[in-house]
Amino acid sequence: MIELDALARTIAAANAVVVVGAGTKRDVGGAVPSGATEVRVPAGMVSYEPADMTVSVLGGTPVALLDGALAEHGQECPLDPRDSAATVGGVLAGGLSGHRRLRLGPARDRLLEVRFLTGDGRVVRGGGPTVKNVTGYDLPRLLVGSLGTLGVITQVTLRTQPRPQHSSWAVSDAPPDDVRDRLFRPTCLAWDGRATHVLLEGHPEDIASEQARAGLRRVDGPPTWPEHAHRGRASVRPGALGALAARLEEVACSWIAEGGVGTVHIGTDTEIALADARAAVEAESGWLLRETGAPNLDPFGIALPNFELMSRIKDAFDPSGKLNPGRLPYTRVAA
Amino acid sequence: MKLQLPEDDLVACVACGLCLPACPTYRVTGLEIASPRGRIAAMQAVQLGGAPIDAEFTAAMDACLVCRGCEVACPSSVPFGHLMEAARATLQPRRPAQRRFAEWLGYRLVLPHHGLLLALTWLLAVAQRLRLVPNRFGLPRLSFRSLRTPLDADAHPDVFLFTGCVMDAWQREVHRAALTVMRATGARPGLPGVHGGCCGALHLHAGLDDQARALAKQVIASLPPEGPVVVDSAGCGAAMKDYGRLLDTDGARAFSARVRDFSEWLAEQAPLPLRPSGTTVVVQDPCHLRHVQHAEHAVRTVLRGGYQLVEIDDDGLCCGAGGAYSVTEPSLSAAVRARKVDAIRAAAGDGPFVVASANPGCAMHLAAAGLTVQHPAELVEEALP
Amino acid sequence: MNRVIEVDVEARVAWVEPGVLNLDLSRMVTHLGLHYAPDPSSQQACTIGGNVATNAGGPHCLAAGVTSSHILALDIVLADGSVARLGGLEPDVPGLDLRGCFVGSEGTMGIATRIAVRLQPNPPCVRTLLLDFMSIDAAAATVSAIIAAGIVPSALEMMDARITRAVEDYVRAGYPRDAEAVLLAELDGLPAGVEAAVAVVDRVGREHGARTVRVAADAAERALLWKGRKSAFGAIARIAPDYYLHDAVVPRTRLVEVLHQVYEIAAAHELIVVNVFHAGDGNLHPILVFDARDPGIWDRVHAAGDAIVRACVAAGGVLSGEHGIGLEKRDLMPLVFNVDDLDAQARLRDAFDPDGRANPQKVLPRGSRCGETMRVPEGAWV
Repeated sequence: MIELDALARTIAAANAVVVVGAGTKRDVGGAVPSGATEVRVPAGMVSYEPADMTVSVLGGTPVALLDGALAEHGQECPLDPRDSAATVGGVLAGGLSGHRRLRLGPARDRLLEVRFLTGDGRVVRGGGPTVKNVTGYDLPRLLVGSLGTLGVITQVTLRTQPRPQHSSWAVSDAPPDDVRDRLFRPTCLAWDGRATHVLLEGHPEDIASEQARAGLRRVDGPPTWPEHAHRGRASVRPGALGALAARLEEVACSWIAEGGVGTVHIGTDTEIALADARAAVEAESGWLLRETGAPNLDPFGIALPNFELMSRIKDAFDPSGKLNPGRLPYTRVAA
Repeated sequence: MKLQLPEDDLVACVACGLCLPACPTYRVTGLEIASPRGRIAAMQAVQLGGAPIDAEFTAAMDACLVCRGCEVACPSSVPFGHLMEAARATLQPRRPAQRRFAEWLGYRLVLPHHGLLLALTWLLAVAQRLRLVPNRFGLPRLSFRSLRTPLDADAHPDVFLFTGCVMDAWQREVHRAALTVMRATGARPGLPGVHGGCCGALHLHAGLDDQARALAKQVIASLPPEGPVVVDSAGCGAAMKDYGRLLDTDGARAFSARVRDFSEWLAEQAPLPLRPSGTTVVVQDPCHLRHVQHAEHAVRTVLRGGYQLVEIDDDGLCCGAGGAYSVTEPSLSAAVRARKVDAIRAAAGDGPFVVASANPGCAMHLAAAGLTVQHPAELVEEALP
Repeated sequence: MNRVIEVDVEARVAWVEPGVLNLDLSRMVTHLGLHYAPDPSSQQACTIGGNVATNAGGPHCLAAGVTSSHILALDIVLADGSVARLGGLEPDVPGLDLRGCFVGSEGTMGIATRIAVRLQPNPPCVRTLLLDFMSIDAAAATVSAIIAAGIVPSALEMMDARITRAVEDYVRAGYPRDAEAVLLAELDGLPAGVEAAVAVVDRVGREHGARTVRVAADAAERALLWKGRKSAFGAIARIAPDYYLHDAVVPRTRLVEVLHQVYEIAAAHELIVVNVFHAGDGNLHPILVFDARDPGIWDRVHAAGDAIVRACVAAGGVLSGEHGIGLEKRDLMPLVFNVDDLDAQARLRDAFDPDGRANPQKVLPRGSRCGETMRVPEGAWV
C-alpha cells in the first residue's frame, strides 16, 4: 500500500485537494479553486468472496473493471453504468444510483464499509465488511453523495448480488405510474413523455407473462439517455413527474424520467434552456443538479437544507476545509 | 409481607415483550407498568427483590383486566392469570375498609344469595322505569315478565344449562333462547338444583379464593353427576372449566371436563338449519372464551348459516369489561372500550350491524357504548326456521 | 406518538409517528397490497421509532435490506431543541445524507418525531420451505450453497435442536423435534422465478443432507411456521428462565466454523447455548440460557458472551448486526475500530449534539475523542 501512503502524505501536505477519478464528474457541484492539488486514488481488487456476496476494491477502480470481475462469478454490483470509465469511488462520492434504482435501490444501500483519507492524511474506516452491520455510526452512507468533501474514498466493500437470469426491455404508451400498477416491481420505468421503456429482470417466463399482461411491446434495448452539451439531473417526488413533463414541453430539452423514483435526466443544447428546465423542476418542488456544462448555472440552484448541520459535519471531518473545496457550499462555522 | 406466588412461574417470564401488544391496558396507556411484563416485574420485585407492597404496587395489580390475552401471546406459557389472581389474593386483606365493605356487600351478600339478587333486580327494574338508571351503566332493559316467568326444565334431562347469578336476574331471556335452541337439536335440557347460583368467577378475580372455592363446591353439588354442563356466559364457563385446578379434587376435575360453552356444545351437535338473514354480525370474542376456553371458533360455526359474519381486526383484544373492572377502574375501562368500539365500527362498515357476544359482562359494557349486542344463543334462536 | 399520519398509496409512502408498532403498520396497509419490509422478530411489539434508532433488521432483510433502506425522510428534534427534516420524498437531496446518518444512531443524534417509510408491494407468489438436518454443519453448509447457486431467498433462517423443540412446544407448527437443525427459507416474487428457486433450494438442501423439505401448503401454514421462528426468544423459558442474547455478524462462509466455536465456548463455561438466527446474512444470535438464581452464574455468562463476540470478530465479523451497541457493547468497540475510526465517529456525533445531551455515553466508548472527559450534562436525555 505504498501508493496509499504517498497519497496520504500528499493530502496532509496540501492546502487544497481535488479528488480526480476518471474525470467524468468535474462539473458536479461547485468549481474547485485552481491551484488545488489533484490526487488520484489507486485502482485494484482487494478481495472478492462470491459466497459472501461482498467485494472489496480500491476507490480508483473503474466500474467496468469491477463489473467484469463480478460477472465471472455470475454476480454484479449495480452502480451507475452510464460512464463505463467512471471509478467506484467517484460514482459513490457522486451518489449516482443508475437506472435500475427502482428495483435495486440507491447506491448508498450497496456500500458496506468505507476507508477514506482525512484532510490530515489519516485513514478512517467506517461500517464493516459483513452484509449486515450496525456497529457504530453509518459513515458509509454519509460518504455516499458527499462529493469528496468529507474524505477521499480509498477503499470500499460493496454488497453484490446474482446477475439477473434474464432481462428484457419493452415499451408502453402509458405513463409510468399506470405501467407500474400492472407489474410486480419492474427494474426501470424510463419515460420520455411519449413512451415508457420498461426493464424487467428475472425468469424469462415471468418476464414474458408480465409483458403480455401489461400490454408491453418488446424492444431491443434501453432508450437513449440525453446526450447534450448541458445536462442536469433533477429530483422530484415521483408523483410530480406528470406535471413536470407538462412543464418541460415548453423547454427546448430532451429528458428521460425514472418512473417511481423521481430522477429526471435532462439534456439541452443551451445553458439558458437548462436554466429553464431547472425552473420547471423547482416549480414542482424539486431541484436540479448540474451534471455537465452550463458553467454559469448554480450547481444546485437551491439552498442546501440543514446547512448548518452539514457544515458542522464538514468541520468535524475536514477542519481545514481542504478536501474538494467549493464542491458543496458549506458555511464556515468554526473559526 | 410476601406475595405467595409460585416462584418457577414467576421467573418464567423472559421479558421478551411479545405480550405487550396483546395487553389492552398497555395498548391504551403505553406504560410498562400497565403491561404484563411490567406487572410480572413488579411481582418479582416484591417477592424476590424485597420491594414493599405499597399503593403503587396495589394500583398496578388492580389495573389489570385479567383478560389473559397475554397468556396466548406468551411463547413460554407464563400462567399470568393465575399469578395475578394469586397476587390479588395476597393483597385482599390489605384493602381499605370501604372497599372491603363494598366487596362484602356484592360478593358475599348479594351474588351468592340468588333470592336477594332477584329482589334487588325487581327494585332496579322499577328504578329503570323511573329513569333513575343512566344508560351509560349498560344495564339491559329489565323485564318484569321475564323475572316473573321461571325457566322450564325438561324431564329426564340429558344436558344441563347453567343459569348463574347476575345473568339469570338480568339476562334470563338469553337462557330462554339457549333452552329453545338446545331443544331444537333434540336435546332435553335440565337446570341446576338449589344453590346452583353464582360460579365464583368474580370472587376469584378479586382475590377472594375461599369464597370462590365454596361457591364452586355448591355449583358442582347443584348438578347431577352425568351429562354436559352448558354455560352461556363465557366468564362463568372459563371459571367452571378451572374448578379442577381450584379445588384440586378428582370430582372437580371430572366436573370441569363436562363444562361446555353454549356455542362449543352446539357446534358439537348436528348442524341446525338456519334461515339466512342479511344481517351483518360482528363477532366479538370475549377474552374468557378466546384466551382461556379457546372456543371462539365455535361461535362462528353456529352463526355462519344465518348471518353475514364480520371479523374484528384486533387479535381479540379485550373490550374493557373485565367483570367488575368497569366499576373499579372506570377510566381505563372506558379507554379500552373506546378502542374496541372503533375496531368494531371499522369492521362493520357503513350498514347496520349487530355485535355477537358470548359473555354478559362484555355485552353490557359494549351496549353502554351504544352498540346493539346480542348473545349467539339469541341470534341462533331468531334464525331458527 | 403512535399514529399513522398518512398513507400515500400511489407513492407507496407512509408518514408515521415513532410509536407506531412495526406489525401494525404492515397490517394497516395490507389491504392496499402493500407492506413495510423490515420485520424484526419482535415486530408485534417494537416501534418504527425504535427500528430507526437501531437500524433494525429481521428475517426479510436478507433480500429487502435493513431499516435504513426503507426510511425516506425524518423529522427530528436535535439536542439543542431545533428541528430538522432529514432526507425527503425526492430520490436525492442536495448535500450529505443526514437521513442515513441518523438511522441507527441509537438516539444519540436526536429524536425522530415523524418518519416517512417506503412501502413495498406484496409479492404475488410466496413459498416457505422448512428443511431439517441431522447436523448443524449440514444446515450451515446448505446456507452457503444456496447463495452460491445464485439464489437470494427473501429470508433464510436457522434454528438449532433445543430452540426448535421449545418453539414447537408453543406453536405446534410441525417443526421436527428430533432434528439437529432446521432451516426456514422463503422465496417470493413472480411464480416462475419462485418455483425455479424452490427447486434449487430443494435440490441443494437434499444434496447437503436435508432429511425432509416441506413446502408450506398455504398462507396459514406459512404464518404458523413464521410464528414459531419469531417466538423463539420468548420460548426460551421452556429451557431455562433467563437468557443472554448476543447479536453478531460473520461472513456467511465462516458460519460453520464460528458456530462450532460458539458451542465450545458455552460448554467450556458450563452453559447451555441455543442458536436461532438470520443465517442468510451470517447474523448470529447465540443465546446463553441459564437460571439467574444459580450463584456465580453471571460471571460465567458474561465471560462466555465476551468470548463469543471475540470469536465472531476474529472471524472477520462485526459486533452487532441489528441490535446495536448501546452501553453493553460500547467498550468492545475498540475490537473493531481503531483510534482514528472512533475519533471520526465521535466528531460526527458532536456535530449533531455538541454537548452530548442525547443518550449520553451510548455507542462510543470513553476516550473516543482525543483528550476527552466524559460527563453527563445536566438535564441530559438518557
